[in-house]
Amino acid sequence: MPEQMMKTSEALNAVLHQAMLDDLTVICIGEDIAENGGVFGVTEGLLSTFGPARVIDTPISETAFVGMAVGSAMTGLKPVVEIMFCDFVGVCLDQIMNQAAKARFLSGGRLDLPLVIRTTMGAGDGSGAMHSASLHGLFSSISGLTVVCPSSPADAAGLLRAALKTKGPVVFIENKNLYDLEGPVPGDCLATPIGVAKRLTEGTDVTIVALGQMVQEASHAAAMLSAAGISAEVLDPRTVKPLDVASIAASVAKTGRLLVVDEGAGFAGFADAVIARVTEEAFSALKAAPRKVCPPDTPVPYAVEAEEIWLPNAADIVAAVQTMMEE
Amino acid sequence: MFIDDKSPYERCVFIRAFEQEIAALSAAGEVPGLVHLSTGAEVADVALASVLDSGKDQVTGSHRSHGIALAMGASPVRVAQEILGRVGGLSDGLAGTQHLMAPENGFLTSNGIVGAQVPLAAGAALTAKTNKTGGVGVAVFGDGAANQGAVLETMNLAAALELPMIFALYNNGMAQSTPVGHASGETDFKTRAQAFGLLAFDADGADYSACAAQFKQGAESARGCRPTFVEVTVTRDDGHYFGDLPDAGNPAPTEAWFENLRRSLKAKGASDDQITQTFDATFERAVGVVKEAARSPKAGAAEYRQWLSLGANPDA
Repeated sequence: MPEQMMKTSEALNAVLHQAMLDDLTVICIGEDIAENGGVFGVTEGLLSTFGPARVIDTPISETAFVGMAVGSAMTGLKPVVEIMFCDFVGVCLDQIMNQAAKARFLSGGRLDLPLVIRTTMGAGDGSGAMHSASLHGLFSSISGLTVVCPSSPADAAGLLRAALKTKGPVVFIENKNLYDLEGPVPGDCLATPIGVAKRLTEGTDVTIVALGQMVQEASHAAAMLSAAGISAEVLDPRTVKPLDVASIAASVAKTGRLLVVDEGAGFAGFADAVIARVTEEAFSALKAAPRKVCPPDTPVPYAVEAEEIWLPNAADIVAAVQTMMEE
Repeated sequence: MFIDDKSPYERCVFIRAFEQEIAALSAAGEVPGLVHLSTGAEVADVALASVLDSGKDQVTGSHRSHGIALAMGASPVRVAQEILGRVGGLSDGLAGTQHLMAPENGFLTSNGIVGAQVPLAAGAALTAKTNKTGGVGVAVFGDGAANQGAVLETMNLAAALELPMIFALYNNGMAQSTPVGHASGETDFKTRAQAFGLLAFDADGADYSACAAQFKQGAESARGCRPTFVEVTVTRDDGHYFGDLPDAGNPAPTEAWFENLRRSLKAKGASDDQITQTFDATFERAVGVVKEAARSPKAGAAEYRQWLSLGANPDA
């Protein structure tokens, strides 16, 4: 199959179709994923192709159906379970944190847990405080989980292929504001490797780390900084855990400056983790204190202008970099 | 398979003796943490296992699962080694008493979170249904777990999705230290299950034949994708955990099932002497198994480092 232009949602959909075709043990579970094709259309057409035994609409009972997915992964299936918004993990965290994450360890490695938990993240679309969170940092603090956050259609497809091949549970977080983003998607079946960062722009003055929809803001910022004579290197880790510390540290060794942009928690979240790990690895290369651009420590506000203040953007990034350059 | 060709009486006595020896070792400081003993639920455990096929069925259990793991056929030495944190345990001592896993024997996992094992059994049921194995997923849980959202949600889910699943509620009347009447607005759990669309049965956990008959009916229905609920009244003979105060109003809890099983052996022609000999031999065998496990080296750094050596990302 040749490379095609696809939206992120279409790329994910194509991978699910192929996975279910290739492997009879792959099943999809979730709310409104079968008849409705998923609220973002990611599971569209799976029901008519693969039938209700493998594409399962559930009651609104996340604990029960995520737990069912975990149990089915423990007994030989490869479930892809959808939690519509990552805010909803509050009602089923036990099944993720204690059951999925710990099963392989507690079995002494006798059991694999080939489970993909698909969920969404991302603010900026007026969804309010309980449908907009970005909890990748929270998931990554749980031992036993792999956490990925793709930022492009190609990486969404590639990382989903990779996630479907892992032995352990993967929390696969799709930024809901990127579903309509179009981009080239390779037609081959090569998976984007988990745990490998991607460099989007090359630079020498500052390393900007961002994932999900923050990659776009970081790229815009890099262009604006370039016009101002500042050379920014943008890295998208793509995987939160395991984090590609080596690539980020190598970039910082070159630039001497690190800025992390994230719409997750500003305290004890992804940004803090990246700063801590890179500081450990590349302290002597730092010319300025590492910084982060994260939302204020409040829930996501609803009103348009309030949400705009909350969500980091390119201007915030430019301002932070300029401050660092003056240090 | 320690209990092949053994009578229900021997199986029940084996579990009782196993647990008593674990208790003795716990008192002697040989168990890393607290143990929640299955004493009082032996009949339910053995009767349930008698209607299951460890080749295609999977059971999940609560923190109180030594008995059901043994009844399903998990290696008694390895179960004991796991409880004692010894090398050779089911998970080399890294999981422990509350996280026994013997999926090879149809015992998928026990659980440290009250009620969390119930959705996992729905998953085993889904796998059996998807792969058309004819197997069932079985969740064993207590009256305490009966009030967990995970359990209530799963009852509905199993009915809605027509899963081949059995909900086995062992009602010992106590949720840790809170009596069932205090913790439940309605203590008729069978009616609750029926309201979710489950076929419901109940049985006296001191009556082996009645338990086995109810579980048999439950399993037959579940295998036809009509999920079922079986409530068994059991006792909790060693409190919530060993060393806890004994449950009040429960003075001689083991006598009923012992006597019932002895009576049925007598009815089949066994003499008092034969029954006593069987008891003694079984008891000795179980104690020997636990003592053997206790002689195994304590698990520790080597076993843990083995897991760590899989790298920072063993899951990818």
